[in-house]
Amino acid sequence: MINYLISMATFGAIYAMLALSLNVMWGMAGMANLGVVGFYAVGAYISAILTTRLGAPVALGLVAAIIGTAVVSALTTLGLARLRDDYLAIVTLGFAEVVRIVAENEAWLTRGTDGISGIPQPLKSTLGPDFNLAYLIFCLAVLAATVFVLERVRRSPFGRVLRAIREDAQIAAFSGKDVLVFKVKAFAIGGAIAGLAGALYGHYSSYIVPELYVPLLTIYIFLALSAGGLGNNWGAVIGAFVVVFFLESTRFFVEIIPWLSAERLAAVREFTVGLCLLLILIYRPRGLLPEPLPRLAGR
Amino acid sequence: MERILQLFANGVMAGAVLALPAIGFTTIFAVLRFANFAVAGHMAVGAFAGYVVNSWLGLPAWAAVLAAFVFAASIGVATDHVALRPLRGYRALTVAIASIALNLMVENALRFGFGNAPRNFAIPLMRDLSFGPIHIDPQQIENTIIAVVAMIILFLFLSLTTTGKAMRAVADNPALADSKGIDPDRMARIAVAIGMGLGGIGGMLIGLDASIDPLIGFRSILSVFAAAVVGGLGSVPGAVLGGLVIGLAEELSLLALPSTYKAAVGFLVILITLTLRPRGLLGPRAA
Amino acid sequence: MTKRPSLVITRRQAIAGASALAALPLVLPSVGFAQASEPIRLAGLVSLTGGGSPFGPSDRMAHQAVIDEVNAAGGILGRKIEYFAEDDETNPEAGVRAARKLIDVNKVSAIMSVFASAVATAVLPLCWENKVMMLAIAAADSIAMLPHQGYFVRTQPHTELQGREFANFAIKRGAKHFFVMMPQTPFTDSVMKGIKDLCGPKGIKVSTLVYDAKKTSLRSEVEEMMRATPDLLMIGGYQPDDIVLAKDVYRADYKGTSIGFAYGLTPQFIDGAGKEAAEGIYSIEPVPAAGSAAYARLKTMLKRDQLDTYVCQAYDHVNLAILSMAKAGQASGTAIRDTIRKITDDSGVKVDNAPDGVKAIADGKEINYQGASGPCRFDEHGNIIEVEFRLNQIRDGKIVVVKS
Repeated sequence: MINYLISMATFGAIYAMLALSLNVMWGMAGMANLGVVGFYAVGAYISAILTTRLGAPVALGLVAAIIGTAVVSALTTLGLARLRDDYLAIVTLGFAEVVRIVAENEAWLTRGTDGISGIPQPLKSTLGPDFNLAYLIFCLAVLAATVFVLERVRRSPFGRVLRAIREDAQIAAFSGKDVLVFKVKAFAIGGAIAGLAGALYGHYSSYIVPELYVPLLTIYIFLALSAGGLGNNWGAVIGAFVVVFFLESTRFFVEIIPWLSAERLAAVREFTVGLCLLLILIYRPRGLLPEPLPRLAGR
Repeated sequence: MERILQLFANGVMAGAVLALPAIGFTTIFAVLRFANFAVAGHMAVGAFAGYVVNSWLGLPAWAAVLAAFVFAASIGVATDHVALRPLRGYRALTVAIASIALNLMVENALRFGFGNAPRNFAIPLMRDLSFGPIHIDPQQIENTIIAVVAMIILFLFLSLTTTGKAMRAVADNPALADSKGIDPDRMARIAVAIGMGLGGIGGMLIGLDASIDPLIGFRSILSVFAAAVVGGLGSVPGAVLGGLVIGLAEELSLLALPSTYKAAVGFLVILITLTLRPRGLLGPRAA
Repeated sequence: MTKRPSLVITRRQAIAGASALAALPLVLPSVGFAQASEPIRLAGLVSLTGGGSPFGPSDRMAHQAVIDEVNAAGGILGRKIEYFAEDDETNPEAGVRAARKLIDVNKVSAIMSVFASAVATAVLPLCWENKVMMLAIAAADSIAMLPHQGYFVRTQPHTELQGREFANFAIKRGAKHFFVMMPQTPFTDSVMKGIKDLCGPKGIKVSTLVYDAKKTSLRSEVEEMMRATPDLLMIGGYQPDDIVLAKDVYRADYKGTSIGFAYGLTPQFIDGAGKEAAEGIYSIEPVPAAGSAAYARLKTMLKRDQLDTYVCQAYDHVNLAILSMAKAGQASGTAIRDTIRKITDDSGVKVDNAPDGVKAIADGKEINYQGASGPCRFDEHGNIIEVEFRLNQIRDGKIVVVKS
């Protein structure tokens, strides 16, 4: 049972990274990225391919995932930055689907629908059964570092400009800031975090497959961030853990409610996710934890 | 050359069917000004309504199409009233995300009731007809006819009836329409009914050709968006044109890409259109 | 303006709430709480939904029936056997999550009857790392070559052998152009290569096409096939995509011969595709040991008069696991791994079911388990050694065995 909880917590940390990624792109820069799962996939595949095909060490895989996904995100923003926010949402959804289709088809690179198995788990042989706990601690450390960096960013001049762009891009442009450059940077940072999360997942589960990277996952992250509080990094983290625990705990209901088949249970679970997101948007759109407003008085 | 003719024929027929949910999507956008993802789920609702009427009750295909429209339209109005109406007037993005949440709920309600396994309509399997070098499945012809008839009925409604003209007024200029005493709530309901109803017929037609399952709308949603965007969001004739464009683009893409990449065509078209000509082919001037 | 309910949640409350939710699974009655004598735990990771769903439910029934019988006779090693079944949805991602639960929470010693190769490939590393035995149906050659340290056996002939049968069919029928259509699976490449290698030298042209199994219409793929004008077509998928493919092949008015894997061309396939579309399609499958005592016994247990090879394999999996544990005197996955090749000894007493075998072992005798799917002897990679195939054809809505 302990192993199972450790596993849940690890997924929680990874989802928290994704929620933070979305928080940078949407919460801070106002670009609702419905395709965040696409960047998650890109990072996972970069690291998986480098470490399984080319025998690169895990650390290199993680770094490559961060840089590679940042580059891909920056490039995609160039095409998307001028779009109205709901158009952007539609296009990014399409982007994630294209990433998944490419992963499914270019089997020479990604092993297609069979997925990449045997992704190296760092220090697995030395740690043995302690691997799971050690990896969880590692992920939590990465998560803490990410939150720390993002809090600094949020309070920095860069973060303030992003907030201004989020509220009204035209006024920000008026004041001489090159809006496009800021958006590209924000997307690059957000994308890098999502890519890192993807790589962390791969090296934990040792198996990735295109099936993982579906819009449903994006909806989970949106729920996590909306519940936690858009713009609030701690909200993103807490929201993510709550969502993961909810999803996994429903698995046990099958044993309590025998007439509910696993498939029906899955339908109920996803229905509830949609319902929660809807309720939050209607009744608590700023999330359960409010965005910390900047202090207006002098430092 | 023969291949191009075949793909052209396939594309026109697929485009006619795609045009229906595209019209639905664009109608809701025209009147309510947001991108309603829930059209996907209601395409599935229509498909299942038609399936129940045809496979369980044994009624013929035309009755099933009618059932698809009626069920999708009514359930669409009901879900809109409960889920999206509280958000009227909010940012378009917020309502769009809410519609995604609603869509998830609708699809999973269907999944709970019917399961994920594909189901087939109780219609006989027919061999293709040959017109020279081109092969056409009689079902495709029937689908195209149904789609065209539905479009004609819609056009007549919009141009000849008072309600239809009122809806067009709201789409063109909501403030002016309101000052003329047109009830925005009623217009919204009608737009949703039409939008989801047409989506329901579209879902059913796709299912007649292949099979149905709760995700039938979700798989086409990107193509539906593409058709509406290319045609110009908010323009009904645009959606028809857009449907044809996307249908043809997806089929003709087979000349260059493996068929597994068909879905990517929609995305590319959306990207190119929104970047180079956001108002689409027939959309209004102000983006 | 309606008043929004004010619901300020402090950070502390949020964390407390999250912890309460996390504790929920612990509070719920969980299986495997300490008893005076710990039960032995076995699991079935079967396909209740998805492409493998024709077989999952009966595989589970076979497991449960045997375990009930053994428990009624007093269990083994003085302990009862507990059985857990999870649905892998014929999808590797769901399979991995289900396997994690079976291994980490239910602490099973063996995972039985995984059907799809993609699922087995994904789950096997979890098994060997946790010293859990996998007894599988999944047939891709690559699985047996993974470094599983012996925690893998399968009762289904691996796909290289199956591909050979298709090639032999093509050669015997004097086909000129064999068009092979399969969805992407871990064994697609090896089957296609195997067919090419055997048919090429005989002058048979072989074309291949890999399609997306999730599509609801394969019209464009079928058009490509028709343009190649083959005289022999392989409809090489699982049941759902076989239905889609067969219907589109029928619409295109294909006039040649068709053949596929019997696990896809099932009675439900005939229902889904319709009699006209299914008419005349051949299928190949490994032959269960239809004359064996085990087969007859299983028929009675499940109240069926015909058995497919998969439910026979499921029956054999659970018997092999139980008998291995009884012989080893221990109920761990490692014990099963080390003893599974010692219960089919030629000099032993012939047994065809677990209760008899357990009793014989208790009396100190060697046993020779004779399975319902075949002799159940495995090489060092886990592959089955002896195997026979049979050819079926769908005639007038029924599957009929063809005498060569």
